Amino acid sequence: MRRLLNGMRRSLTSPVRNARSAVVIGRLLGLAFLVCFATGVYSHFLQDPLPWMRFATWPQLYQVTQGIHITAGIACFPLLLGKLYVVYPQLFQTPALKGPVHLLERASIALFVGASLVQIVIGLLNTYQWYPFPFNFKQVHWALSFVIIGSLAIHIAVKLPIIARNWSKAVPEADDEPPAESEVPTTGVTGRVMHWIDRTPAPEAGLSRRGFFAAVGLSTVAVVALTAGQSFAALKPLNLFGPRQKDIGPQGLPINRTAEAAKVTESAMAADWVLTVMAAGTVATFTRAQLLALPQTQVDLPIACVEGWSQMATWKGVRMRDLLEAAGAPSDKRLIVNSLEERGGYRTTEMGAEYVGDDLTLVALELNGGTLDIQHGYPARVIAPGRPGVLQTKWLRSLEVAS
Amino acid sequence: MKIARIILLAVGLLGLALGAVVMVAEVRPAQIVGVGIWILGAIVLHDAVLAPALLGVDVLMRRAGRRVRPAVVVIVQVGVVVGAIMSLLVLPEMYAKVLGPKNDTVLPLDYGLNLALFWSVTALLTAVACAVYVRAVPRRAAQRAT
Repeated sequence: MRRLLNGMRRSLTSPVRNARSAVVIGRLLGLAFLVCFATGVYSHFLQDPLPWMRFATWPQLYQVTQGIHITAGIACFPLLLGKLYVVYPQLFQTPALKGPVHLLERASIALFVGASLVQIVIGLLNTYQWYPFPFNFKQVHWALSFVIIGSLAIHIAVKLPIIARNWSKAVPEADDEPPAESEVPTTGVTGRVMHWIDRTPAPEAGLSRRGFFAAVGLSTVAVVALTAGQSFAALKPLNLFGPRQKDIGPQGLPINRTAEAAKVTESAMAADWVLTVMAAGTVATFTRAQLLALPQTQVDLPIACVEGWSQMATWKGVRMRDLLEAAGAPSDKRLIVNSLEERGGYRTTEMGAEYVGDDLTLVALELNGGTLDIQHGYPARVIAPGRPGVLQTKWLRSLEVAS
Repeated sequence: MKIARIILLAVGLLGLALGAVVMVAEVRPAQIVGVGIWILGAIVLHDAVLAPALLGVDVLMRRAGRRVRPAVVVIVQVGVVVGAIMSLLVLPEMYAKVLGPKNDTVLPLDYGLNLALFWSVTALLTAVACAVYVRAVPRRAAQRAT
């Protein structure tokens, strides 16, 4: 067994597979993981805030953080595969297990690698809205993020001396040396295969290092440049592979949930539709004509989806604060926003007081100069600065001021 | 460094514990089994399929390239890796489009055509890089350098 493991490691020997390469690529990957984690936590709490949480209402904040989340996640593919390429021979280290601590260390690496691969794959598939896995995306993606950041911290703790030694220059490590020829199998099929690999011309060290980093670097640049146009307008002309494209959709804006899927095609077009505004002791209703008769405000705000795509648009409608005032309701409290949708996770959502009172928050009636399309929430929808698209409730039914 | 390692280890264990708590609290047991199977499957797929296959391709390319200059083999390998990683991301996207997106604004592009275009440009650039290298670095100079 020992000889077999040695043989595998010897066959896998490459000038790229050393501690220095692992550090160079590992810190980029670690940074990408931390960026994904931070932006992911932010996105999570925007959707499920703890009671004391208040958020910044910068119009483009979420567009940027979530665009970065998805783009950094995509960049993790070449970086993680490159990192695994560098450390792959460690899989065949001898002795395979030195004791309980070593067992735990190897188990934590296995969990780290497996969880990271699953995390980026399900994240990518979620942007394609394809769910071939036997579990719920949102909850598992959230739980795995802690597993991965925890495993990352443990991994750095274990490897810290090697990382420190190799941070700015290569220092030969014992693990980097391939096992001697006498230590590997010489008979049988495995022996013959390994000998055959041994006799293959070895790549020159500097050349294969340059090749490796060129491959990882160019792949990373390519996957980012050719997909990030769904989130960042400057890269739109290069968007060959993003699952969304700006300016495609009704009124030049992509959509996620259609009126048909939300089953609102009748209720949203009903002649007797009114928007109900409720507060302690008062109930007011507004027809669409009455909403249009109130002072109208125009704002430029993006729709920014958790799946990373975003799109700037011009909205016109009644400022939320003005509407609440017209209804005789306070505008400094949390709002409960109800949609005409009969079911769905975002049928009822909450809007924090910081958004309710913001100048840019509207009950929108028009989009890009035309009447709001039913796919974008006709007769009226919410648009607020810096919030995920799922919280920009379409097909409004009622607004309740929380008591 | 010892203190840093202890802090990192503590943060790590806390993260793992938090992950476990969130998993148990929010995901049904049958689904947790599914997550475990996927994690195990990812390890097996990478360690037992993808990585050995890559070793095989690398060895075959180096053997086939015996008479070719080593730098040319490496340039070709870079091109193949870039194309393969892009394909890894785009093939599932093409499949998801075949399954039928929920509306016309999801997966609106012709990803198959774009991937073919990407491979063509990658092949072209790889060929240009090889040609430039072969012209710029005479064989003897390359041999002296190695």
